Amino acid sequence: MKRSLTFAAVTVAASLGCLMAQSSWNAKPQDDLKSLKKAALQVDQYIAAFYRSKNLPVPEVTDDATFLRRAFLVSVGRIPTPEEALEFLEIQDPTKREALVEYLLKSKGFSSHMANWAFDLLRVVDGRGDFEPYRHWIRTAMANNMPWNEFTEHLISSSGDGWDPATAAVGYYTRDRGMPLDNVANTMRIFLGTRMECAQCHDDPFGTTERHDFYRLAAFTHGQGEEGREKMQTLWNELTSEKRDNNPEAQVARVIWDRVYGMSLGGGGTGQIELPTDYQYHDGKPGDVVGAHTPFGQAVLMSGKREKPKGREKLAGWIISKTGEQFPSVIANRMWKHVMGKGVYEPIDQFVPAAKSNYPELVGYIGKLIVDLGYDLRAFQHVLLLTKTFQFATNPNPSVVEGGDDFHGRKIERLSAEQIWDSLVTLAAGDPDKQPMRPLDERIYVAGQPVLVGKKSMPELSKEVLALKSEREVRAYFSKFLSEVKSDSPGNSGANSMTLMNDVRAYNKDAKIRASELPSPAPRDHFLYLFGASDREVVEASSREPNVGQVLSLMNGFVQRELVNKTSAHLYKTLDGATTEKEKVRRLYIAILSRPPSTEEMSWMLDEVKSQGDAGYRNIVSALVMSAEFLFLQ
Amino acid sequence: MNPLLKADELTRRQFVSNAARAYLGVHLFPMLGGTLAEAAPVTAAKGGTAKSVIYLYMSGGMSHVDTFDPKPKKKDVMGSTETIPTKADGVMVGHYLKKTAAVMDKVCVINSMNSTQGAHEQGSYIMHTSYNSRGTIKHPALGSWVLRLGGRIHPELPGFIAVDSAPEFTGGGFLGAKFSAALIGSPDQGLQDSHRADAVSQQDFERRLTLADKLNRQFHDRYANADVKAYEELYREAITLMNSKDLKAFDLQQEPEATRELYGKGRFAQGCLLARRLVENGVRFIEVQLGGWDTHYDNFTGVAGRCLEFDQAYAALITDLEKSGKLKDTLVVVATEFGRTPTLNAEHKDGRDHHPEAFSCLLAGGGIKGGMKYGSTDPAGNKVKDGLVSVQDFNATIAHALSLPYDTVVMSPSKRPFKIADKGVPVAALFG
Repeated sequence: MKRSLTFAAVTVAASLGCLMAQSSWNAKPQDDLKSLKKAALQVDQYIAAFYRSKNLPVPEVTDDATFLRRAFLVSVGRIPTPEEALEFLEIQDPTKREALVEYLLKSKGFSSHMANWAFDLLRVVDGRGDFEPYRHWIRTAMANNMPWNEFTEHLISSSGDGWDPATAAVGYYTRDRGMPLDNVANTMRIFLGTRMECAQCHDDPFGTTERHDFYRLAAFTHGQGEEGREKMQTLWNELTSEKRDNNPEAQVARVIWDRVYGMSLGGGGTGQIELPTDYQYHDGKPGDVVGAHTPFGQAVLMSGKREKPKGREKLAGWIISKTGEQFPSVIANRMWKHVMGKGVYEPIDQFVPAAKSNYPELVGYIGKLIVDLGYDLRAFQHVLLLTKTFQFATNPNPSVVEGGDDFHGRKIERLSAEQIWDSLVTLAAGDPDKQPMRPLDERIYVAGQPVLVGKKSMPELSKEVLALKSEREVRAYFSKFLSEVKSDSPGNSGANSMTLMNDVRAYNKDAKIRASELPSPAPRDHFLYLFGASDREVVEASSREPNVGQVLSLMNGFVQRELVNKTSAHLYKTLDGATTEKEKVRRLYIAILSRPPSTEEMSWMLDEVKSQGDAGYRNIVSALVMSAEFLFLQ
Repeated sequence: MNPLLKADELTRRQFVSNAARAYLGVHLFPMLGGTLAEAAPVTAAKGGTAKSVIYLYMSGGMSHVDTFDPKPKKKDVMGSTETIPTKADGVMVGHYLKKTAAVMDKVCVINSMNSTQGAHEQGSYIMHTSYNSRGTIKHPALGSWVLRLGGRIHPELPGFIAVDSAPEFTGGGFLGAKFSAALIGSPDQGLQDSHRADAVSQQDFERRLTLADKLNRQFHDRYANADVKAYEELYREAITLMNSKDLKAFDLQQEPEATRELYGKGRFAQGCLLARRLVENGVRFIEVQLGGWDTHYDNFTGVAGRCLEFDQAYAALITDLEKSGKLKDTLVVVATEFGRTPTLNAEHKDGRDHHPEAFSCLLAGGGIKGGMKYGSTDPAGNKVKDGLVSVQDFNATIAHALSLPYDTVVMSPSKRPFKIADKGVPVAALFG
């Protein structure tokens, strides 16, 4: 089999990197492997102290094959290719686990897997309305490993052009247009692990949050709207008061109305809000205006008198730097769950102060660590992947500790829909990370058809429109734009670089690309949906619940069509050059389960091949992919 | 917990232990059907007689004045729609519904529906879930609730099936994937992946499962885990389903040509026929959607087109169910998210806009009185005059027709309390 040298090269580079890190005193902790290792050791010591205090035996470290598969799935969201697996399994080098981690964190798959995580957390949709630039902004932020505090600040405080990469994070609000209070409740849940949605309608009977507090918080984001769309209102009314559906002028105007103004965000947050008409408590009357005030942490407020409408900026500042340990602790715990399978405390969107948690030192430490690492999520994951704790052997029993992990070995868990899909794609079509990221479709669409391709893009149009200062300018611009569109030669639907984009738009449910590059949410007839991918309506709504459709799909659907019964599937290339039946079985095992078969399994499989010939190999592939071992993480 | 469900689970557990590890013995399964069906006790609170629901959803907002709430005296409201009498005294319908008119003696028209939501997405959401759409929780669809409260009837077939439906409104929400609809995109093609791929022989299929079973036993011995076990059981269920002689319920080719003609050849018509087959086979809840009712522009052409799809299929469904004696076991619902403005918009070639203040829905079968109207609107069809039925009341009525305890509280995983119809109360006057 042809073997690439990538991984061996990384092994060497890693040891070099280590040497260089030792000699460079000025490196930031997140770029310094030595500090990362030190932090990993520190984490392990807290866990070890926990074992000592409970008189528990420390779990064993798992074998290479389990580590390999676990590390791949957790960090890049797919199984290794056979080449990657063999290279790791066959190398005799005491530092190979560290080197593998480094290889994975540098791979493109890392940001793909993180993008799925972020899409679930932020409920990113790109089909309904136009959130493609927002989706692309998040995808790119993950690819660039944007620090979490910076990412948070962009989401909460951006204003302006929805198409400008500098401000496309406004999608965080435009996605929730018409339901700004739900948006605020989600913000508290996502970034601070505080659940306030009950207080939208009534005082929380189980907690301390009152409805009044909620409105004072919501005041920071109040007064959002499209930026400057009123300048087009009269023109829009004129155009749409005629036949609504098939008026070409209205269709061109819609591009500006919906896709430029509609995707922009004006209003930085007034800091003032009216209490709702059904307000029921004594501390205010319906219609009373209340000023912005934060519910805990270091108080931030807006008095309302001659205050600039920068409420969202203030809110972002408060969340990131005035809530004490809360902001770092919540993201550190989320990342812990992402890597370790369970949060140190759970549910992960209910913050627990370190002192009140089951593991006060550990919770305190990881919160501080993520700050020290400059909120670098990749570096933080790097620390966790280097720990012994990550390498613990598998434990099939659920945690015995209420509200979090018992650290007693790795919990067994079904893979996420995205992990299963990306792994199947790897088997069917080879390393999916060799394909490019889905590009942003910047073309202007009128009535579903791209126009002015190569002449004007949506970001250009958006920039020009948002710069217009008066109704007169808007009218003049529209006439010009209309004539440009009308004189555009039809049929020119764009450059080749848009092929992937077109695949996604056209939606082929067997298209073998990473889940992170497919439409979001996955359509209902897609494998991903069936296996519980989030519908991205609610924060982190993905499910690992089994249902009968999943099993039908494995037995009779995509797996059979594109993998088992398709001789051109990439998987079967791994058999090229194998001369014995034994070697072929071994290679199929490596490709699918990332390990060689046991002696017993080998005898079963050889029996199958002997009795069925070539069909036997297909039966083996089918059985391995349907096996619990394939569907579950150990 | 509902005793019905409990009984169901108990039997299931017994079954699992009896048949433990034998799931590949496909031949073991046919005897199962009877056991589970008989296990469900028939302890019903006083309500209707329905066991199953066929929920026909008119997506886009069906114009009430042009269909089931005509205003013959108001020419300015009716435009080109004429009013015709029906088989039920005092019940009139728009002239597009000639075949439906002939079955109205079996149907109850509710003219006093009222919704708080005037946009499609929110309106459809509340009709399907009884709650407003929130960004913080996903509410279960009506079919999921019915399954949760009433359980399955047929142990092998899915309990909730949605044909051509908007997927957002047929999910299990916080109840989980287990209660989501099995989706059918095309009535002609049946249930996705429920048949062995053509390229795979029965022998290979069985060999694959046997091999997988060996691997799974080994895995399970090493890691005895509840989630792993759930998949083992699902393989049983899936194979049971694939081998179920009743899987042919999904196959419309089994219907005589005459019956297919009776319903009509359109997608919606075939969906109705499929729904009838599924009800006969003990599927609890089937939704079939008919889209295109959003008649802002040229309302009369639009309504005529939609009614052409609806009229024959609906009349055939009611007739067919009545003839086979299944109508008393089956609640047939016609629902929509809102009505349309009685005022015509001349600029949009006589279009009608959204009108949640007053609209009409239909119920038939399952112990609902036929040939009656409930509630009324003012002379122009603008507002509900008497007998207002909220969306929640409507859903409570559906639950009551099934004799399900509509006031049962189910807690979401986030510990918030929800009910099938929120605060809705059944309309008692509809039950015979």
